[in-house]
Formats: sequence, C-alpha cells, structure tokens
Amino acid sequence: MKNFKDIEQLSAYLDGQLNLSDSARLESRISSDPELASNLNDIRAARGILRKLPARKAPRNFTLTRKMVGLRPPVPQSYSFFRFSSAFATILLVFTFAANSLAPRLSSPAPGFAIGMGGGGAPEATEAPAATEAAAEMLPAAPSLEMPLAATEPPAANADLFATEAPLAPESTMLKEAETESALQDQARVKQEPFVPVTWQLSLLVIILISALIAFIINQNAKKKWS
Amino acid sequence: MTGDYKAGKIESMDESSLIQTAQNGDLDSFNTLILHYQDAVFHTALRILSDEDSAEDAAQEAFISAFRSISSFRGGSFKAWLMRTVTNACYDELRRQKRRPTTPLEPETSDGEEMDSPKWLADPNMTPAEKSEADELEHAIQHCLNALPTDFRTVVVMADIQGMDYSEVAVAVHVPLGTIKSRLARARLRLRECLRSFEELLPSSFRLEGESNP
Repeated sequence: MKNFKDIEQLSAYLDGQLNLSDSARLESRISSDPELASNLNDIRAARGILRKLPARKAPRNFTLTRKMVGLRPPVPQSYSFFRFSSAFATILLVFTFAANSLAPRLSSPAPGFAIGMGGGGAPEATEAPAATEAAAEMLPAAPSLEMPLAATEPPAANADLFATEAPLAPESTMLKEAETESALQDQARVKQEPFVPVTWQLSLLVIILISALIAFIINQNAKKKWS
Repeated sequence: MTGDYKAGKIESMDESSLIQTAQNGDLDSFNTLILHYQDAVFHTALRILSDEDSAEDAAQEAFISAFRSISSFRGGSFKAWLMRTVTNACYDELRRQKRRPTTPLEPETSDGEEMDSPKWLADPNMTPAEKSEADELEHAIQHCLNALPTDFRTVVVMADIQGMDYSEVAVAVHVPLGTIKSRLARARLRLRECLRSFEELLPSSFRLEGESNP
C-alpha cells in the first residue's frame, strides 16, 4: 500500500481533480509502478461499485403545505387597524375600571392626617367621605382627641355642663346634624358618580366588540381566498 | 394542492427564477423545486442514515428547513445548498438516535424470521435473480457505508452516489476542498477493504475489477 498522499492523488486523479501537470506526472508514475497501478484499480473499483448502486426513488412526495411551514394568509392593512383598535380599546377599558376603583382612594387624605388636624377634620370630611368614615372609626380608640362629629352624643359625666348650656344645645346640635347630613349626601353623590362614566366604558366595549368582529371577518375572508 | 405539481416540470423552467420566487415566499415554486430534487435528497438521506423511515423524516425536515432559510441562498449550486440542509437534518437524526437508541423493526417472513432482503427494496421490473443480486449488492454496500465514520460516509455518498463534484460537496458539508479530497480517498480505501470481504457474495458483474476508464 502506498502512502496516503499517493492514495489521495490517485483518488483525485480518478475524479479529474488534478491539474494537467500533476496528472501527467502521476500517469508516468503509474506506468512504472505496479503497486500504484493496483491501488488505482482498487479505488476505481470501489468507486465503480458505489456508482452502480441503484438510485432509490422517494417513497412519497415531500411537497410542503402552508401549514407545514407556518405561512399565514396575506391580510389587508385594515386588518391590522381593526386588530390594533380592538386591543387599544381593551387596554383603555381596563384602565377605566382601574381608575374608577382607585380614584376615590387617591383623592382622599390619609385617616391619621384627618384626625390630627382636629377641628379641621369635619370640613375636609365633606370633601372626602372615606376620610370621614375612617375618622369616625378611629374615635372610640382615641377619646382624648377632638371629635367634632361625635359631639352629638356627649358622655354622661358631663351631663351637668350640658344642662347649664341647654338653650344653646338644640340649635348647635341641629346645625351639626344638618352639616353631617349634608356631608353624607355629598359623600353619597361622590360615591354614585364614578371617575370615568359608565357610558364611556360601554362605548369602549362596543368599539372592542365591533373591531374584533371586523378583524375576525377580514381574517376569515383572507383564509378562504388563500386556500 | 400537492397533486398539482408534476415531477420534471422544472426541466422546462428556469431554476433560478423558481428560486427567486420561492425566496419571495412563493411555496408553489419551492414545491416544484422539491419535486425535482426529492429523489436525490431522499436517496442521500437513506444512504447516510441507513433507514427508510428516518430518511423520510430527515428529507421532510430538510425541505421545511430549506424553505424557511431559502432567503440565505446566495446563488451557486442549489443542489449543493439543498444537500447541506439534508446533511444537517441527517446529523440531527443521528444525534437523536444516539441519545435514544431504538431496535429497528425489520419486516418478517411468514415463519417469523427477519427478511434479509425486504420486498420494499425491490424494483418490480426486475427478475427474481436480478432482485436477489441487487439486494445483495445493496446490503453489502450499505453495510460498508455504515462502517464508515459519518463525515466520510456523507462525502462518499455525495461524490460517488450522487455524482456531485468536489466543490459542490465542499459547499454541502461546509469543509475545505482539500478535506473533501482527503476524506473521499480514505473513504474509498476503507470501502474497498470492506467490500473485499463480500466479494464472493457479490454477483459477477459487481466484482471488484475496476472500471476501464478514469
């Protein structure tokens, strides 16, 4: 067996991959070297057998379908518009719900702050019902603090003091009751009016549904045309 | 859709224009190319993998992958580019087989013994003697091909069985031309040695007597 360089040359020579001068040199060596000639025959025989191997046909067609390659039907530009508007309106709708639930809490001061302000708590409470409620809840726990709203029911220990001021008491109580009533009415009104009106939310819902429906129809039509 | 294509249609059409339209996403053009190359692709995969089902899977994977990456084809031999995809698919399949080795289900005779020459390999136009001869040859060659390292096998299948030239094979397996020459020479030598042991099994027309001309 010749060295591998010779074998490589013989293999390339068989395939016509040597240039003219290399081919001529190799041919002269083959004619004078029986071992090289034998190697050439071996390689040629091996190649010949491989070339005689019957070609096998594909057992089936390998043609591709659009589904196999994940192709989608071409859709008109309006499809993107409606899809986007549907998605955008959905996001807006979510925001409106979030705003309606968060807005009253954000607009009111913290309960501790309202109590600490003492007499100023009542006027603020009319503007912020949540704070009033919180303040009212805190009263039993903090009896030493000033309690403008809780003053309608004075403690029994101070009954004499209230008795001496009897002529003034009904007017003042009525005034305070009226104020409280007014505050509660305001509070109820604020509670009834959401930050984003319901009509807006309904409009957004309609936009979502219509846009999604149109986008769906466009997509289905495109698919039908494509197939 | 599949039935609309006819093999050989590509002969009357310009391959490069089909490639171009396929690059623009036209699946029909690509399917025409598939019909032209599917036999070569399947045969290559079969010789590398030595299993018909695996070869089918690899060929299908190769065509899907080829369609998805056809925009990366920058001219040259389309067959070589396609063969590269097939080679990659075959290597993936071989790696998968290494990870999860399975026992091949050979067809059995009525006695429950495995068939040495499965019927599905036979050409229906051959006489029984020819069939037997061809089966023996095919088995002997495939046995020797399987004994080669995968890189050598791939090169020898492309050059000697598919008849691709060195530059095409170099593109297909993505190695320098010198490496192709070297691998091919080594593969042929090993095949020659291996086939020697099958010489008495081979029909007379396939004895290792060499070709008359280079």
